Amino acid sequence: MMRWRYLKQSAFFALVRASALIITLTLGGIILYILMHGYSVISWEFITKPPTDSMTQGGIMPAILGTIYLTLGAIAIGLPLGVASAIYLTEYAIQGRMIRLIRVGINCLAGVPSVVFGLFGLAFFVIIFKFGSSILAGSLTLGFLILPTIIGASEEALKSVPQTFREASLALGVSKWQTTYRIVLPNALPGILTGSILGIGRAAGETAPIMFTAAAFFTSKLPSSIFDEVMALPYHIYVLATAGTNIEATRPIQYGTVLVLVAVVLGINLVAILIRGYMRRNKRW
Amino acid sequence: MTRHIKEIIIKYVFFSFALVSIVVLGMIVFSLFREGVPIFKVVSLKDFLFGTEWYPTFDPPLFGIFTLIVGSLIVTIFATLLAVPLGVMTAIYISEIAPRAIKEILKSIIEMLAGLPSVVLGFFGMVVVAPWLQNTFDLPTGLNIVNASMILALMAVPTISSISEDALYAVPHEFKEASYALGATRFETIAKVIVPAALSGITTAVMLGMARAIGETMVVLMVAGGAAAIPESIFDSVRPMPASIAAEMGETPYRSAHYHALFATGMVLFFLTLAFNLIADYVSHKFKQTGSATP
Amino acid sequence: MDSNIIIKLNNVNFYYGNNRALTDISMTFRKNKVTALIGPSGCGKSTLLRLLNRMNDLIDGTRVEGEILFEEKNIYDPEIDPVEIRKKVGMVFQKPNPFPKTIYNNIAYGPKLASNNTGDINTLVEQSLKQAVLWDEVKDILNQSAMKLSGGQQQRLCIARALAMKPDILLMDEPTSALDPISTAKIEELIEELKKNYTIIIVTHNMQQAARISDETAFFYLGNLVEYNKTEKIFTNPDVKHTEDYITGRFG
Repeated sequence: MMRWRYLKQSAFFALVRASALIITLTLGGIILYILMHGYSVISWEFITKPPTDSMTQGGIMPAILGTIYLTLGAIAIGLPLGVASAIYLTEYAIQGRMIRLIRVGINCLAGVPSVVFGLFGLAFFVIIFKFGSSILAGSLTLGFLILPTIIGASEEALKSVPQTFREASLALGVSKWQTTYRIVLPNALPGILTGSILGIGRAAGETAPIMFTAAAFFTSKLPSSIFDEVMALPYHIYVLATAGTNIEATRPIQYGTVLVLVAVVLGINLVAILIRGYMRRNKRW
Repeated sequence: MTRHIKEIIIKYVFFSFALVSIVVLGMIVFSLFREGVPIFKVVSLKDFLFGTEWYPTFDPPLFGIFTLIVGSLIVTIFATLLAVPLGVMTAIYISEIAPRAIKEILKSIIEMLAGLPSVVLGFFGMVVVAPWLQNTFDLPTGLNIVNASMILALMAVPTISSISEDALYAVPHEFKEASYALGATRFETIAKVIVPAALSGITTAVMLGMARAIGETMVVLMVAGGAAAIPESIFDSVRPMPASIAAEMGETPYRSAHYHALFATGMVLFFLTLAFNLIADYVSHKFKQTGSATP
Repeated sequence: MDSNIIIKLNNVNFYYGNNRALTDISMTFRKNKVTALIGPSGCGKSTLLRLLNRMNDLIDGTRVEGEILFEEKNIYDPEIDPVEIRKKVGMVFQKPNPFPKTIYNNIAYGPKLASNNTGDINTLVEQSLKQAVLWDEVKDILNQSAMKLSGGQQQRLCIARALAMKPDILLMDEPTSALDPISTAKIEELIEELKKNYTIIIVTHNMQQAARISDETAFFYLGNLVEYNKTEKIFTNPDVKHTEDYITGRFG
């Protein structure tokens, strides 16, 4: 009887370990595959030169630059809004219907499909606000897309600041805002930073939201203002991999671009993970 | 008194920032309705939802998105069937079985997987999975339901796994100790005590994973094959809603019937994912896990 | 009002949601005395303490009835800014809670933010630390993190931090319950010293402590003020049987 029970346990443990192994191997396999195929394409020229010969030769510099612009724009919009929302929710809000509604709203926003964000950006920023397909429209769309991520991370960071710090400050006759600004925010900053880094990674890798709002198939010039269209790494991959008759001819460039994008996004994620690990080990309270 | 007023002003400033999420959600609904509703002058709601012919560029065009809805549902269901066991099992491994070091590494791996851009996974599906499927099963194309479901499952696993893990982790330690003290094995404790106690959290995780899969665009755009027809086998191509929107929006004249039809498709997609999210929210609040007895 | 009286409570009721935590409390606190609040857990003594500097405002769904007069003004009057009250009524908590800042900045934090402050901060820091009998131990490490101090030092730092605001009253919520006996003795000595300049109201679980350091003692039970008198009287010849049972350890 007991043997049978342990046999069942062993079988279950094996199954559970296998699941974890499958996921690890899949991720490892994907990354290894991309690395092996993209590695030979990467060169200084590839990263610093624009495409040539109807994109079958040359580099991807404009796409890298475009992704940087869009990502910086998105974080410039998402970070202040997200941190401010989180401050309200953790420091000021009194539990009730309104807060429940705001939370449901944030959860729903987090669940909106990225292509719907694209439609929203198209209808609102491109058409109603007349920004056209531009860095501005794309950044706004991506900024709202990463808003829930940043709110979530910031809330968690703010909540992790011990309540006793707030009490100590308030008991000294320091106002609520000063307490938030001088005690709570500085102590939550590393956590907020991690959240925004994850937001950056998300924004850099998204394709659907920028398809109709910012991304161009090809631009002959680099953007000169926030009202210009840009090329972007994810869109570049999609376009080269699916459109036109040159799919096979541009295969190496596709692999190279995928590698650059993956390196950027996973690099960003890794930094966030490392910062968080460092913080946990050096917790001051 | 002036500082008191300043504090009140600051509070309301933050309040208005907190409202931004709801305002954006409202703007999304507004833009979908504004650009989507006009299609119903051309086609009835019933014909739009249940029409099986999607020929938006024909003359006269046909706007029935039933095949697109079926395409979305099929890949989502198959992806869920793959992702739920994989995700929940991994969560159990991380939260209950794995040694500390492996636990941390595995959590990072899941996070990295979540961080992989969808276009990269779509690309991988196109250049690796599709040729493999095509050769192994001798198919006309490897861009089909199986391929899309596998890649989508990969995208849903991190969501399912990390939320399930939180739920498992939140099960009070007392429950486990009580079970061990009664002579139960670890497996019995996991199967009969821990998982049931975390079930609402796991349900939430599955709903959110499904919402993620149904709304995912680049993967279905790149690997589902794009055929707007009711599939007869799991090796047939489909055209899920996000794929149709993303592929066609670029070539559609502004405010044409086709343009409105794509926004209306976006509405359907939006409300479908909203339903999944609200169910998840409801489940997680209604069946909130109870902690240990209060002292 | 008697000039020796600094705080006066008139028929105060306090609610957490629908639960009444304090019932019809009327009492006065005298200037430059140490008043101890004692009673079993959940009797409302900490709640009462936190009413006196409006710290209970921070908890959602609480409600106060009646009035609490401080310098003849009701501190729960809607016109009153709780921030002003807390400047005059300092507080020391159960667990030492220094900020993760340097020792110097812990003390300087409050005064720097107080708008009416004009004096020299360095002097104030030294003064406060000396008052809290911590100066000799930390004068060479003012720029070190306060988190590195021992528990007892941290608690004295928290007292110095409160004193730097030059309050009239010091509220202490079981200030020694997290400390070792030696640190506890130091804090008790300090309280003895501080009552020359401050009014001290202290919540404590420790009967001997209340007997040792306080001038007056109030015994609470289930949200009611059972007995309030000179400490000597309470501990030698209480009027109420209930008080005697608690003090002699028959329940609690």
